[in-house]
Amino acid sequence: MAASRSLALSIAGLVLLAANQGMAADNERGAQLAAMCASCHRLDGRDQGIPSIVGIDKKDFDDAMAAFKSGARSSSIMHAVALELSNAEIALLGEYLAARPKESKLR
Amino acid sequence: MSWTRRKFGGFASTSLVAALGARAARGQAKARVVVIGGGIGGATVAKYLATSSAKPYVALVEPKHQYTTCFFSNFYLAGLRSLESLTFDYETLARKYGIDVIHDTVTEIDPVAKMVTLASGAKIGYDRAVAAPGIAFRQGAIEGYDEVATQIMPHAWNGGPQTKLLRRQLESMEDGGVFVIVAPPDPFRCPPGPYERACLVAYYFKQFKPRAKILILDAKDTFFEQDLFEDGWNRHYPGMIEWLPGQFTGGVKSVDVKSRGIKTAGETFNANVANIIPAQIAGELAQRAGLADQSGWCPIDPMTFESKLQPGIHVIGDATSAGDMPKSAFVANSQAKACAFAIAAALTGSEQIALHLFNTCFTLLAPNDAVSDAINLKPVAGLIKITDIFFSPVGESEEMRRRAAHQAEGWYAAFTHDVFG
Repeated sequence: MAASRSLALSIAGLVLLAANQGMAADNERGAQLAAMCASCHRLDGRDQGIPSIVGIDKKDFDDAMAAFKSGARSSSIMHAVALELSNAEIALLGEYLAARPKESKLR
Repeated sequence: MSWTRRKFGGFASTSLVAALGARAARGQAKARVVVIGGGIGGATVAKYLATSSAKPYVALVEPKHQYTTCFFSNFYLAGLRSLESLTFDYETLARKYGIDVIHDTVTEIDPVAKMVTLASGAKIGYDRAVAAPGIAFRQGAIEGYDEVATQIMPHAWNGGPQTKLLRRQLESMEDGGVFVIVAPPDPFRCPPGPYERACLVAYYFKQFKPRAKILILDAKDTFFEQDLFEDGWNRHYPGMIEWLPGQFTGGVKSVDVKSRGIKTAGETFNANVANIIPAQIAGELAQRAGLADQSGWCPIDPMTFESKLQPGIHVIGDATSAGDMPKSAFVANSQAKACAFAIAAALTGSEQIALHLFNTCFTLLAPNDAVSDAINLKPVAGLIKITDIFFSPVGESEEMRRRAAHQAEGWYAAFTHDVFG
């Protein structure tokens, strides 16, 4: 009884581990993509001249990137960035940024 | 007491690694990465390695305790910013990210034993080394422009004392004087830099020395964003800035420090203040460590930034020969991230994901008139190629230019935070 319970627990653990690994890989890729953003956008939620993007709503992010890609929103820099990223990368980045908490806004 | 402990600990760890070699160190504990040079590329790669999933031991070897950015130093020359506002230290990198910041100079890299030797005699074994040696000036490119001459006719192409010296000279120049900028041949650090310098020094002159002139003696016949600059010069500083291309003067051949004379193939120009920016090559360490080829620059693998000449050593920043990538702080930062992720993947045995390489640049024509450019780059068949490039157009609205100037300030704050914060 104890043995089968611990087996069940360890299987559940393995399933969780596998899921965590998939999430960890996505998170790692999200972090790598966000690292590019960090050259202009601070990732601690502070901003000065260039808007903060952490904690941004995923749909707002997707819409903004689509507008930059099409040129509906004008910015040569963001147009270049939006062209460079694939749709899958934009989706991943949106999830990563949305999940990232805004830190203190104190200066 | 704490001095003794630190001293002993430092000695013990370095000598232990020296005795065991890099392989034993690897089997024992963390992977080890030594970053040589604490400029933009070096500081960025150290930070992103330290926060990577590989979690290696990261040493950052840099002789100076503070770094003054060369980008935005034209603001200082114009009197718009203090030098302190452009100066950063390494304390956050050490404290927040656990980077072992070592203020020393690398005297030797042994790529076979995978060991760097410091001027203090200490040795550090590594699994991977990253060199970020920046630029040096090509010796003999301009006759008479030696170390002593830099104290009279500054290059101000590294941030710090040189920038300060040039500002002091501009301040003490009399109204009606001539400020000469000698602009280098390609490739060189910061392609718009000399021309932005003309703009922002002109902005200073316009207020305090309105009869002063600026003469640019260029090695080249065209320059980066020329139409944008010429438009800005005409609108903001009419009649103040003159640019002479290489084909007109035959190029600068020599300088005379006593008269501040600048001799071209034809005429000699006498300056009241002279800013000599000579032809460039990869920094001194690159030459000494066999990382540079005959061109003077360092050939690299465009995916990993590993040297094509010395396996196990990566090179990033201005020192690299990186295809279409310009030499800029932004590029150094972009390369550093790609390099950090490639090293982390190699250390953990995971797959390296396709990287994105960018350059963006804000250039000030006047304090409220900035232009920007954006470049996407990609490794294609072993070379880094431009895939998209965008520039601000001539004749943009004042509002757009004002907004870009505001963004430039925000970019500087965010960018330096990304590197040092």
